[in-house]
Amino acid sequence: MRDLFITGSSFLLGDIEMGAFEPYIEAKKLRRMEKIAKNVLWCAFSACQQASVNFQKENELGLSLAVGAGSLESTLRFLDSIIDDGDELSSPTAFAGSVHNSTALTLSLFLHSHGPCVTTGQLDGSFAAALLTAQQFLTNGMCEQVLVAVTDDINPVAAELVPQSPDLWKGLVRPGQFQRAAAAFVLSNTPRTNCLKVKQLSFTRTDVQDKSLPDSFSSPAFCAIHVAQQCAAGKDFRVRDVFAGTDFKLEASVYAFEK
Amino acid sequence: MREGVTIAGAGALCACGLTAKEMLKGALNGRACFALPGNRVKSAYADRFPVFQVSESVIASCPIGQSLSSYFFLTAAKEAFAQAGLTPEKLQNKRVGVIVGTSVDASFHCFDLYHHFKQRAVKEEDVQELKKYFATSATAKTISAYFGFTGPFQTIVTACASGTDAIGLAKDWIKNDICDAVLCGGTDEINLVPYDGFIRLLIAGKNRCKPFSKDREGINIGEGAAAMLLLNRVLTEEFAISPVGYVLGYGNACDGYHPTAPDPAAKGLQKAISFALKEAAVAPSQIAFINAHATASPANDLAESVAFNALLKDVPVWGSKGVTGHTLGAAGAIEAVLSLQALNEKILPPTIGFSVQDEKIGFSPTTIPSTVTKRVALSDSLAFGGCNSVIVLGSEDFYA
Repeated sequence: MRDLFITGSSFLLGDIEMGAFEPYIEAKKLRRMEKIAKNVLWCAFSACQQASVNFQKENELGLSLAVGAGSLESTLRFLDSIIDDGDELSSPTAFAGSVHNSTALTLSLFLHSHGPCVTTGQLDGSFAAALLTAQQFLTNGMCEQVLVAVTDDINPVAAELVPQSPDLWKGLVRPGQFQRAAAAFVLSNTPRTNCLKVKQLSFTRTDVQDKSLPDSFSSPAFCAIHVAQQCAAGKDFRVRDVFAGTDFKLEASVYAFEK
Repeated sequence: MREGVTIAGAGALCACGLTAKEMLKGALNGRACFALPGNRVKSAYADRFPVFQVSESVIASCPIGQSLSSYFFLTAAKEAFAQAGLTPEKLQNKRVGVIVGTSVDASFHCFDLYHHFKQRAVKEEDVQELKKYFATSATAKTISAYFGFTGPFQTIVTACASGTDAIGLAKDWIKNDICDAVLCGGTDEINLVPYDGFIRLLIAGKNRCKPFSKDREGINIGEGAAAMLLLNRVLTEEFAISPVGYVLGYGNACDGYHPTAPDPAAKGLQKAISFALKEAAVAPSQIAFINAHATASPANDLAESVAFNALLKDVPVWGSKGVTGHTLGAAGAIEAVLSLQALNEKILPPTIGFSVQDEKIGFSPTTIPSTVTKRVALSDSLAFGGCNSVIVLGSEDFYA
């Protein structure tokens, strides 16, 4: 496998303010966009800028998107339209937005990217699998840089029902699942200044919950946020996330060019 | 000649058959379970828009607590293992990954639960439904746990290209030494959300779909699953496997054009085809046929024809959705298994539903069964969001 470098990263907890897009794009272009798409788009702009990806022009950036449960905002809006207005007046716009891959379209449109693109949606294991996909794109020479984008939505049904009987959901739903969060990383086979070199990337399924490990992150995107925080600190780091059958390890160190 | 990744076994089920062999038979004679969805979909449209369904006996045998999509995939996977002459137990100490493409299974499409939630009338069965959603919606993990595998797992949700991506990335996991074996494919089930959604997007047709036909009116959704077991060279030799085929190449590129419509210039699809052929080290003249995405929607078929006319002129084009329906996240995998079956049985089926050539498309797809004399097939998928995915497959005698 070829060397893998993290050349840009960004994260967001909660929802982005429209004003934050000012350096990148006119806010009016973001009207009617789902919150999870807006959140991850801002992270993507920020990570790409850090990695010097010229996203204002057509480019071959690869996209590996990780969603926890996709755009629940649109999914539930579509279900609302069926329940409230009937099948024959249900909203086609909400349906189109409910498709997991619609967020990938947002990213490719606004980043002007035409490289390979795959979306992964498997709750807790999405981020780890998206990193593996980015690694495959780069190793196979499908592109020279890949944006790994992670975004999580709130499930209002679970947000209400789970806290009512927490024991029922132990090992199945993370306690802090009910918050929107996003992160983005640019990965490349080529190092640049202020980048990190990935030393270990491992992702397996396990039946064993390792009790010696600190409790894993409170939501799938929080693991990505933790990685992004480590990247921002500019120090070597080692992250392990074990939850609901997923065992993910990522280790990276600050890369120094030889003089 | 570049080395392809071994396909040790393949299995599938959908409206035109409950095994890969039966499905090819259905593709040849045009027989499939095509009917109104009845009670399975509680929609005001249920008396007007028919679908391609897996037989009722299979649906009735799905165990409680298991999603229909997982059940379909497990059924296809067992056929793949049987064809390979392997059991999951024999792979227990190996690095076995699972990649599954889907759409419905990984989505929060729990209509009754949500309806009750809105009415502030949640029942015990709704709580169980929510638990089932959290426990099973990571489809690939569910499958991996069922077989007791401990390698990586990935549930791909790149809409209608998911099944093709699953096989392409599985090939990469083997090629790049992430795994010794990968169980891959796609699965999907008929559900109210895509059923109403495609109708409301004015993409669904009221009659049996007509891929590439001038009078095509739109898609019919379908359901089913397909699985392939891929092995690295070491395991192929260790288990003395006679490959049923090879994954030779994979390409993927996005349009960045429109949420639901393909780029009419098909630039992304052309790029994906070119990359897959380059990786496979295969020339267009070596390709026996293309299994096209061919949803029978006006925009999709036209966009595909642009790419085929530019890069694969004179290669026979086969559209199989006239017997399978559009099985969404499973489509690419079902079409890959059908293509492999056609390559190995050396017969290319007609495009069921096609009747009149469209001058804008500029070619007719297959209209009668014909003998296959070459050893390579190309299968492509186009997805909502503008993702294009292509795989190149070699027959069992590709290296003979």
